[in-house]
This record gives sequence, structure tokens and C-alpha cells, in this order.
Amino acid sequence: MSTSTAGQGLTRARTGVAVRGSGPPLAPRKTRRPGASPLTLGAFAAPALFLVLLINLYPVIYAGWQSLRDGSLIDAGDFVGLQNYADVLTDPTFWAAARFTVVFTLVGVFGSWFVGLALALLLKTRFPVKNTFKLLLLLPWVVPVVVSATAWNWLVATPQSPLPILAEALGLGNVLFLADPLLAKITVCVFKVWISFPFMMMMMAAALESVDNNVYEAAKVDGASKWNTLTNITLPMISRSTYISWILMTIFCVNDFPTIFLLTGGGPVNATQTLVVLSYVTVFQNFQTGPGVAIAFLMTLVLIVISVALYRQIKKVQIL
Amino acid sequence: MVSKSGLTRRSFLALSAAAVAGPAVLAGCGGGGGGGAGGGGSTEPIKFWNMPWGQTAFNPLDQKITEAYKPEAGLPAVTYQVIQWANFNQTFASAVASKTNPAVSSGGGTQVFQYEAQGGIAYVDELYAAWKANGLYDDFLPGLIDTLKVEKGYAAIPYNLDMRVIWVNKVLLDQAGGKVPTDWQSYLNAAEALKKNSVYGYGTGAGAGAYTGQHAIVCWMINNGGGLFDEQKQPNCVTPENIEAVNFVLEMVSKGYVDPASSTYTSANVQTQWKAKKFGLGYDTGGLADNIGGDVAKDIAVISPLTSPSGKKGSLYFPNNIMMYKNNPSIKGSEAFLTYYYQNMAPLWTQNTGIGLPPLKSIAKTKEFQANKDKVRIVEEWVPVARTWAAPGGQANFLNVTTVDATPAMNTFTQSILSGKTDAKSALTKLQADVKATMKS
Repeated sequence: MSTSTAGQGLTRARTGVAVRGSGPPLAPRKTRRPGASPLTLGAFAAPALFLVLLINLYPVIYAGWQSLRDGSLIDAGDFVGLQNYADVLTDPTFWAAARFTVVFTLVGVFGSWFVGLALALLLKTRFPVKNTFKLLLLLPWVVPVVVSATAWNWLVATPQSPLPILAEALGLGNVLFLADPLLAKITVCVFKVWISFPFMMMMMAAALESVDNNVYEAAKVDGASKWNTLTNITLPMISRSTYISWILMTIFCVNDFPTIFLLTGGGPVNATQTLVVLSYVTVFQNFQTGPGVAIAFLMTLVLIVISVALYRQIKKVQIL
Repeated sequence: MVSKSGLTRRSFLALSAAAVAGPAVLAGCGGGGGGGAGGGGSTEPIKFWNMPWGQTAFNPLDQKITEAYKPEAGLPAVTYQVIQWANFNQTFASAVASKTNPAVSSGGGTQVFQYEAQGGIAYVDELYAAWKANGLYDDFLPGLIDTLKVEKGYAAIPYNLDMRVIWVNKVLLDQAGGKVPTDWQSYLNAAEALKKNSVYGYGTGAGAGAYTGQHAIVCWMINNGGGLFDEQKQPNCVTPENIEAVNFVLEMVSKGYVDPASSTYTSANVQTQWKAKKFGLGYDTGGLADNIGGDVAKDIAVISPLTSPSGKKGSLYFPNNIMMYKNNPSIKGSEAFLTYYYQNMAPLWTQNTGIGLPPLKSIAKTKEFQANKDKVRIVEEWVPVARTWAAPGGQANFLNVTTVDATPAMNTFTQSILSGKTDAKSALTKLQADVKATMKS
């Protein structure tokens, strides 16, 4: 037999055919509780809906209104139309922050996914103290970012910190992990990957559990290499979870304020400033709520576009 | 943005800011107007909000002093509340907007100017008139009261002083064969001597939440007769005095007297470097020795103010203050409480709670305060030559100093200088443009 066994298994899985069964998948049966009229359901949902509107929608609308004014934290200011958006979009600081946000997000999403996937695959194998290892791997995610940032600061900030000492011992000289603009960018990106990979690892581990072992066995019988198994079976079969985790991590990265603010404050000389940090300092340090909120809205817009694009990608994937 | 008595608050601000992210920026920006009309004779308790100005002992003692207040008949009692530095701007802004603000509060050093501009502050001119009669007015350190004078009156009362002074590690300087500097050239000589022992002669930090690095550069400017604002309260950064001062700092950077990682040092990193005996000389808060503690604290001391090439002395300081709000159940009651408070607040200093320097001569003269030679030197030698953000144009702060107090513009300016990748004129020109862009009309 050729690789067709594995291929058939994959095709079945993609088309919704159970690997061990045959025939079309059963359509979910529509059930309706007696007396559950739309009015009743609406009445049950109304309090929650009201709370959601009150807590989420009102502040967003109010913030939108503020983005059209030139106010401060304590003054509503005058209506200026879209001037704040125009000012923000013509400000080089905004575009510098936007560029680094893209880099930070790309590295954060794919770096943590790559590490998380690799560790999830490793955790599928059997080895001693696996559970302890798994627990330790979760620590960067579990520990509050304030603590992690302080720990990383201790690791890299001064020439007497452990990593600069190590770098000097390796003949690399006085490495300024946070003071050199390029190294600071790399450091915050690595820090982001470090605190995020456990989340990806959990997502990928859960997805890997859902892959039927028969598919792997079939691939093994067909003589598929480990690489082929990974690229032609594992990755396609966990693609839906992968896209979901990418959407979530993209949102986490774009909105990530503490990682950068605590480690570098956006410096040196704005080198590591992302849009969310720029938005914060504009509102709460420059007291310019209009431009600051405008930045936050532009960020939200970009996030929605990215999320919708990735979500559409998920819908194209037929398997789970 | 604000000022305070030591590094703790600014550092804490940076950490606490971690609680705020993008969605919070979207949802958390409260607007609204100022308070309502001032009250007259209500017996509704007046609220006193105070900040954690010192160490853990500060607020309990402060509360004890406050709650010991016994109002005269017809005047309201006082309630006490600690307001944490975390997001304090939002706390006050939302309280004022919802008219649930305190009657009396401290807060950020420049906070009062924002509320005053909105018409929310009750001026303390009448209170000062009463204090002239009972001697309290004359008890303030010279020049201090006028730092809070605005066009319409006195906006607030000086409460504690956050000073920027030069510290030296005497042991390290002796080991290096250096002499305590008295002017800029001797400062360079001392830094050169320290460098031979791998000690930095300009210890500073301008990283996340560390604003002392910004202040230090402005200290050099003020020392040289410069500063950031002119008599019309307009930014005037590109002056010969400022250029000379920034060139002086750049010279120290190029000569290796500045730790190359300084531009991203947090306050904790700066203190670590002092503790590690890597910093031997530099500007810091008046509370540096208290903050670093241990054996090194005994080795460091405040030196006398330097004489600049222009022949002048000077430094930057922040008169933190207490303000009264117009939306107030009883202005008279608030004034009565403030009179009591200022007459009885001395234990906050004599019991060494960690608050900044006292505003009153009588407290500075107590034997407990006199026991700390560094603090005495600061009061006697640094306070008289210290200037506010308003320098060189004036001594009274005003609304637009908020554009330079812990702002991104100042941060970028400082980091660019400490990284040595700029020249004085370019850096000051950019600062001038950034400050102008964020100024309120």
C-alpha cells in the first residue's frame, strides 16, 4: 500500500467522515425546548445584554466622542472632528510605533507558536518527570507579568546582571540588552515569546490530542517520514486550532501594555514603543485624550481586520 | 506629570501603570468639568485625601493626626482616605467629574494647576491671611509659598519638598583620590578620578518610570541660569545656558562618566548601581540614602550646590502641595482643618516616616530633623537656590509645566542625550517643538 492510507484518512477527516466509520456525518438535530419562544429567550438574555451594553458599549461610544474632541482627563474640550485622527496619522511617532507593533506581534505570535508547538509535540512523547516539566513550562504564563518583567530586568538591565556578565565572559563585550535600540527590540520580543509560549503550548497540546492516532499509524505503515507526518498530517489537522490561537495571540500582542511598559517604558528613545504604549502615554502622561483615544481606535480597527481575515481562514478549514 | 518626595512614587507609578492596557485607554478616559460652588457652613464631614508620601508608617500616623482633629462648634469633622499612586490621575478626575471629590487633598505636584485652570480649586488667600496673624505663614521656608501662586490667587499650600541634589560616595571618591566638586570643572575632575576605579561619576537613570534622569539634566540647566520656560510662561529651551548644560552632560557621556545603560535604568536599577558601588556621584532625590539603605547609605552624602560656568547655583525642586476644592461642604471647615493639620503635622517628619522635606522652618529646626546632616544641608543650602519647572522665567509653577513633568517629550530628550547620539542644539530644538505641540493654550 502507498501513502494513500494516510491520504484517505486525512481526506476523510477533512470531509467530516469519521476515520473509523463511513457515510456522511450526521447533521446536528435541532431541538427546541417547549415554551422557549423568542420572546422568552429575549427576556432571559435582556439583563445580560443590558449589562454588556452598559459596560462595553457606552464607554466605547464615549471614548469615540472623546476622540473627536481636544480635551484632557479633566476637560471635555472642544469638538475638532477628525482632526485628532489626521494628526495621529501624520505623526512619525505613530508610524514608528505601528511598525514596531507589527514586528512585536509577528514575533510574538509566530515565535510563541513555534516554541509552543515544539514543546507540545515533545510532551506527546514519553519521558521521565514529564508532568513536572509540563508544570514548569507553564510558569512564564502563570506568573504575573509584573513579576516576570522585574525578573527579566534583573537578568539584563545592568552590566552586573547575569546575562551581560555571561555575554562578557563569552567575549561579546558589554552587551546593552535594553539600552541599545536594536537589542532592546529583540529583548522585548524574546520576552514576549517567553511569557506567551505556554499558552500556545496548551492550545497546541489540546489540538494534538484531538488528532486520531490511526492517522499516524496509517502514515507510519505508509512509510511517511517524521517531517512528512508533521507537515502533511499534524499541521493540517490542527490548523483550525492554530488559526484560533493566532487570532488570540495577535490580540494579546497588539494590546500588550505591561510587557513593554515595565521592561523598557517604550525606550530607548521610543525604539520599543508600540501603539498601545503610545496611546497610554498620550492620554495619561501628555493628558491628550483625543489623540490618545484616536490611536486606540485605529489599533482596534486594525485588530478587527486581522481577526476577520484569520477567522475567514478558519472557516475555510473543514476539519477540527 | 507629577512630582513627589522620592523615587518610590514614580517607580510605583510605572508598575501600577501595568494595570492599564489598550481597552482601558479606550474605556477609561473620563472627561467632565470641575466641581461646583464652594460650601459655607455645612456640618457634613469634609474629606481629606492624602497620598502615600512616605514609607509604611506614614499613612497610619497621618490618619492618627487627622482623626485627632476636634472641630469647633458648627464646623464639620474630617474623614481620612489614602489614595494610592496607581492611576491617581483618573481617581481624582473621576471624583471631580462626579462631584464626589474630597474637600482637601494632596496629589501630584502639578495636579492643582490642572484643576485650577478648570475653575475647580478654592484659593487659599484668605487662609494665608489668617496664618499671617497666627505666625504659620512666616513659618514656611522662604520663597516656597509663591511657587503655588497663580493669576487669581494662591492655588495650594506647600506640603513637602521633593528635591534634586548631588550625592557623592565619599569612600569611593577618597579611594580614587578625587575631591568633592564645587563647580563643573571639579565635577569633571572627580568623575575622571572615579572612572579609573570603574565607577561612574554621573549616576542617573531614564528608563521605565524613572524620571530623575530628566530632572538631572534640567538641574544642570537651572544651575547654569537656564531652564525650560521664559517670563511669558512659554517654552524657551534652545538658549545658550541650556546648550552649555547639555553639552556638559554630553561631554560626560562621551568621556565614559555615564553608565551606557543609564538611558533605560529604572529607579531600582539606579539604586542597585549605588549599592553596587558603581555610581560614585550624581543627582538624585533627597531621600537617596533612605532608599538604598545598608552600608553604602552611610558612605554617601549630599554635597553643596555647584557653581556653574555662569557663576550661578541652582537645582530643580518640586513643592508638593495640599489643595482645597470649590466643590466643598465647608470652605471654612476645610480652612480650620488645614490650620490644625499644619500646626500638628510635625511628627510626620520627626518620626522619620519617609515623607519629603518639610515646608516649615519650625519642623526643620527640630532636633530629630537636625540629626540628619544631609537633610539639613538640603534645607540650608539647596532649597534657597532651588527653582521650579517654571525657571528661568519665574518661580511659580503653572498649567503648562505639565508638558515637561515626566512626559514622553522629556523622556525622549533625556534618553537621546544619555545615549550620546545627538548634539545639544538638536536635542533642545526637538524638545522645544515637542513641548509646544503638547501645550494647552
